[in-house]
Amino acid sequence: MNTAASTPISAEQAREALRTVIDPELGYNIVDLGLVYAVTVDAAGVLYVRMTTTTRGCPATDYLVQGAQQALQQLPGCAGIEVELTYEPPWTPAQMSPMARLHLGIDRASAW
Amino acid sequence: MLGVTLSRWTMSYFAVALLSLLAGELALTLGYGYPLPVLNSPATLAVVHVLTLGWLSLLLAGALQQFVPVLVARPLAHPRLSLPILLLLIIGTAGLITGFHALSTGAGGAWFALAACALSAGFLLLLWNLLHTLWRARPWALPARFVLAGLTGLTLAVLLGLSFLGVLAGATGAPWTVALLGYGVPLHVIAALGGWLTLTAIGVSYRLLAMFMLAPEPNRRGSHAALWLGATALLLAVIGGATLVVAGLDAHKLLVIAGMLGVPALLLYLRDMRALYRQRQRRVLELNASMSVGALLSLAAGATLLLLAAVGGNWHAWLPAIVYLLLFGWLSGLGLAQLYKIVAFLTWLEVFGPQLGRGPTPRVQDLVDEPHARGWFRLYFLTAWLAATALLLDWPAAFRMAAATQLLATLAIVDQLWRTRRLCALRQHPLPVRPALLCVRQTPATPTENHP
Repeated sequence: MNTAASTPISAEQAREALRTVIDPELGYNIVDLGLVYAVTVDAAGVLYVRMTTTTRGCPATDYLVQGAQQALQQLPGCAGIEVELTYEPPWTPAQMSPMARLHLGIDRASAW
Repeated sequence: MLGVTLSRWTMSYFAVALLSLLAGELALTLGYGYPLPVLNSPATLAVVHVLTLGWLSLLLAGALQQFVPVLVARPLAHPRLSLPILLLLIIGTAGLITGFHALSTGAGGAWFALAACALSAGFLLLLWNLLHTLWRARPWALPARFVLAGLTGLTLAVLLGLSFLGVLAGATGAPWTVALLGYGVPLHVIAALGGWLTLTAIGVSYRLLAMFMLAPEPNRRGSHAALWLGATALLLAVIGGATLVVAGLDAHKLLVIAGMLGVPALLLYLRDMRALYRQRQRRVLELNASMSVGALLSLAAGATLLLLAAVGGNWHAWLPAIVYLLLFGWLSGLGLAQLYKIVAFLTWLEVFGPQLGRGPTPRVQDLVDEPHARGWFRLYFLTAWLAATALLLDWPAAFRMAAATQLLATLAIVDQLWRTRRLCALRQHPLPVRPALLCVRQTPATPTENHP
């Protein structure tokens, strides 16, 4: 990770970096799919990410968590990264952004 | 433990399974096995076991060692057993086929003994691996319960098979084993085809199709009724039937009653699948989901024919067509359709999973060529249905023509799977690693199977 930069990192920058990570099955980034529940930064520049996967036990889970870490490591000013995987609440298609729904050809997303 | 890891030998299971499917279809095309010889001839038995053990059982064994962990969100209990299980099942199947081939000369005994040892050891280790994984993940959701029922069917099929092999190998001549060999073969078929293969395929399809189509997983009262009716039908037919056979009584009426429980179970499952497709969020179906419809239609047709045969008493005339429809239309059709997705998904995870977050990565869909594959899948289902119809109408020449075209379609589908695994659609894309054909490469960035 890069700790040399003096400008503090923002949660929005972190979200933008996480957009480079795609869910391989759905083929769209994890932020717009609604898989990233929260991104916060503390005063020391440590990033905290709370995320999920579309299905509990998905074989891609480790790769998605590792991918989020790798994407954030490249940010200047990042002093540390903690990624928490959660299934509370479980993900539903209702959490997708309008762009993600359009990409997947979903007219209206319901929570199952 | 965050997620489920890649099973190292799954691709090897799939490769051997696909070779067995091609071998079985080639035999049928060349007239080796039913309908040219009689139904219970050694040649027919050899072909049937190439298809049920070599193809479908290896396919399911490989897939379950990858996807039972997905069903229960726990790692596989004993990943190191995967290779010994594969080798034992290959040796056992080869021994059994050779034994059937040698049966006409009366020299099959030693081969049957080898098959009995290797198959029982292979399936025992498989059961231990899967049951231990499931046991640690209680309580179970509906898909896992179906898999448990399927594993019960596998246990019963293996036990009956072992009793047959005991007689064929000359190891036992006990009256009850001789009675089972004489009259218990239909029970073995029900345990294998209806229990192990069908109930397990149903369980896996509940989760996989819901996952791939973004649909709510069916969990209605009818879904659970399908499980209980199916499991009860299996136990009634196999355990009840075996008891009657050993006692020297006719099991026919009991099998009809079991069928009356089993067919509604299938209809309830099909109703769930119809709801799942209707409620899916992804309006545009990917190939694996659209072609699975062909498999579900085959199951519906097979269930209807079973019902009509039970009512009309046309068992002997219709059974080959029904078994063909269930074997090739339902089980093999579903297996090939899901393989099309699974091979791409696992290959993507192996090659591009470690690259996530480091730069742009392709999608799983970029690894496949759906327009090319779609036509071959359609031809596969069409020829499977034509072959079943030819069997129903007793037209051997039409059957062999349909079987030959089905073989051609299967070869083309296997070629598509090979191209996916070799990443042929990504020739212009810089590849971080080229996957091995038969096993998952363990790169430093890939979580290992011994993940805590």
